[in-house]
Amino acid sequence: MIFEQIFNMVNVGIVILDRDLNVRQWNRWMETHSKISGNEIIGKSIFHFFPSLDAPWFKRNCKSVLAFGNFSFLSQKLHKYCFPLKPVNTFGIKFDHMQQNCTMGPLRDQTNVVEYIFLMVHDVTEVAAYEQKLIEMNIKDALTGVYNRRYFESRIEEEFERHKRYKRSFSIIMQDIDYFKKINDTYGHQAGDFILKSFSTSVMSRIRAVDIFARYGGEEFCCMLPETELVSALSVAEDIRKRIEHTTFEFKNTPLNITISQGVSEMKPDTSCAESLLKKADDALYEAKRSGRNRVLNK
Amino acid sequence: MEPNLNDIFSSDEKDILQEIMNIAFGNATADLAQVIDIYVVLSVPNIKVIDIGDLPHYIKQNIPSSENTSILQQKFWGEFRGSGILVFPQTSGKDIAGILDDQFSDDGFTLHRQKTEILLEIGNILIGACVGKVSELLGTFVTYSPPHLIVDDSEGHNNLINSFEENQTAIVMKTIFEFENKNINGFLMILTDNESIDWLRHALQNFMESYE
Repeated sequence: MIFEQIFNMVNVGIVILDRDLNVRQWNRWMETHSKISGNEIIGKSIFHFFPSLDAPWFKRNCKSVLAFGNFSFLSQKLHKYCFPLKPVNTFGIKFDHMQQNCTMGPLRDQTNVVEYIFLMVHDVTEVAAYEQKLIEMNIKDALTGVYNRRYFESRIEEEFERHKRYKRSFSIIMQDIDYFKKINDTYGHQAGDFILKSFSTSVMSRIRAVDIFARYGGEEFCCMLPETELVSALSVAEDIRKRIEHTTFEFKNTPLNITISQGVSEMKPDTSCAESLLKKADDALYEAKRSGRNRVLNK
Repeated sequence: MEPNLNDIFSSDEKDILQEIMNIAFGNATADLAQVIDIYVVLSVPNIKVIDIGDLPHYIKQNIPSSENTSILQQKFWGEFRGSGILVFPQTSGKDIAGILDDQFSDDGFTLHRQKTEILLEIGNILIGACVGKVSELLGTFVTYSPPHLIVDDSEGHNNLINSFEENQTAIVMKTIFEFENKNINGFLMILTDNESIDWLRHALQNFMESYE
């Protein structure tokens, strides 16, 4: 009697399956989160209600419990979830389903033969959300929300390795906001931050999903365009330049206009390392600055 | 210095243990083919008794510290208790994912993260199969802690070595396994805890008597 109460009171989903994977027990937690009552599901195949479990990974783990008396640990990291249940709270991250760690193990009869499989379902959505946030904090710039320099550099290394193998072209654009210091000095740092954010949003709306746009430092940004030759990269940069030049950003009723200088470089067979590609773009950016700003140059 | 097996076990007992291991691993092979759809070849296990502080040395000798070697450990509890240690040398995430017939992501970043999890799942099945079958023959059953991956650097090695008590006598059962047609192999060790040796001797006697 007391065991039955515990079975239904714990904040864990508990399911008991027989050797044919029919449901034998279904606790209150499972009823609540799946909206399927014990009366409906007990005696029926688990696959009838959860067809997504009719997959090699689930059946393999059931078999190992039945064959060896194994415990199986179905981690959220690999499987996300076992049962497609609605998340109770997604903690600000978009999860379609409650994230779960599940444990499976054997239940034996008096002669130690495995008769049933028990499944325990733990809701780890909160932990998964924190992990997701940590990953994002690690690769994104806090102010603008675009990628940070470290992530950019790791991606450019990857792209460089890919280029060595598959010889696919890619280009990078280095960007710098002209006279940024003046905005900070004239209108204050809040205005400066606003410009950095608005500029990022504007660039993001112009580039493709595969492009990697990052804040490289201060008012300097960087954009990597995979599968893109120099000519196309120049035209993207020119388009961004015009957009920025013709946009009036409004900060607390003060209209602000900015221009940007850009340097572009393309990955060539003789480029020795990712760093030298960045250096070329940086040199071109320096030239663009020196020759009057608000322009795109390449090296 | 390797203590004589006879100090702890009579030669009869040793023979029984060897016999049990042979049967257990044979059964495990057959059932593994059912569970993961791949024939896993398990070599005839080698049994050794390792004493007081020699274990770290043995582990060091048997587990090559090299890049890409993945080591995982899983503890099991019950009358029969100890650790299963699985060593996968030099395997890529892609090879590992190929053992299971699931659909895994193709991009490098995700695959690298998943490799660990896939290794843990395979390790869990392999260790569980071998330990489970031995337990069955010895007339007992065990429960398991989740397996974990040992970070493959000197610190990881030290942590593994330190996880055993200094004055522990362990019976090490070592087998080489190979996934047929997958070109993946490695070795598996089952280390029994000091505390379960008395019980083990008793269980071996019972096993013998059941045949007399």
